[in-house]
Amino acid sequence: MPRFFFYVVNGHGEIADDEGSDAESHSAARKIALDSIRSMVAEDARAGRIDLSGRIEIKDASRNILLTVCYAEAFDVRMPEGSASD
Amino acid sequence: MIETLLLKLRKRDVISAEEEQALRDTLVEVEDIPPRQTILRRGETLHRSVLLLSGLMCRYKDLRDGQRQITALHVPGDFLDLHGFTLKYLDHDVMSLPASRVAYARHDRLTQLTEEFPHLTRLLWFSTNLDAAMHREWELSLGCRSGAARAAHLFCEIYTRLEIVRQVDGYAFTFQLNQAELGECLGLTVVHTNRVLRDLREKGLLDFSRGLAVIHDLERLKAFAEFDPTYLYLHQTQR
Repeated sequence: MPRFFFYVVNGHGEIADDEGSDAESHSAARKIALDSIRSMVAEDARAGRIDLSGRIEIKDASRNILLTVCYAEAFDVRMPEGSASD
Repeated sequence: MIETLLLKLRKRDVISAEEEQALRDTLVEVEDIPPRQTILRRGETLHRSVLLLSGLMCRYKDLRDGQRQITALHVPGDFLDLHGFTLKYLDHDVMSLPASRVAYARHDRLTQLTEEFPHLTRLLWFSTNLDAAMHREWELSLGCRSGAARAAHLFCEIYTRLEIVRQVDGYAFTFQLNQAELGECLGLTVVHTNRVLRDLREKGLLDFSRGLAVIHDLERLKAFAEFDPTYLYLHQTQR
């Protein structure tokens, strides 16, 4: 099974992934990224903050970027009409 | 062979020479388990219980979609399924993490032990009660603690348990599970687990990488995790 490395990139910088995780395919790796974004944003939401500006870069063992998953892709966001979400 | 079990029990009570011999006579059969091997499956009829001698093992439950929750970690000196002596089958699976060594206690031999050694029986009962206390603390973590505090709490617990069986080197200890497995203990995805470990490292509390944990500031780590070892029943008393 190929090994993928999930780098979190957000306003605070980058969190490197030294260990990596096995996944069957690119789409399985993308699902890990989506699940992880939802889990991390959910935890931040409990503290009253939602920041969807980050992304996860999925890299191979040579650290070439294979896929990028933006935080915003992980959610279907609905806001009240007329509200601004700057 | 059963020195870690004796260290664990003697931390909590006095064990006589006769009781020690009875334990030695009960735990005879030894087996080496390769890494990541499920040795007990839910529903299997049990005729013996398993004591961990070296390595690291876990109890887990999973869902059809592949999500897995590790419900307990076991360090040397722990019975993985002493509760199986009365339950006769388990509602969960038991798996090795790194290569591990176990010893078996046949249930008919344990029955004999309960008839001949009532105090030792109470100590074995204590150890299943202790497992339940740890489950309650993990529930509190999963339900209420933040990801970082959950991880910090787990490292405090494992450090404390390993110290009893003399498996720590100062504030460092081997803890051979990967980040995905650590995440399965904490109810976090592998990427979230990596973020949480980065938080703890940046706070100067703890480093965990490639199976080695180093605690930099135990008192601050305990405070951050709200770790209170009362639930580990660390005092010696007559039970």
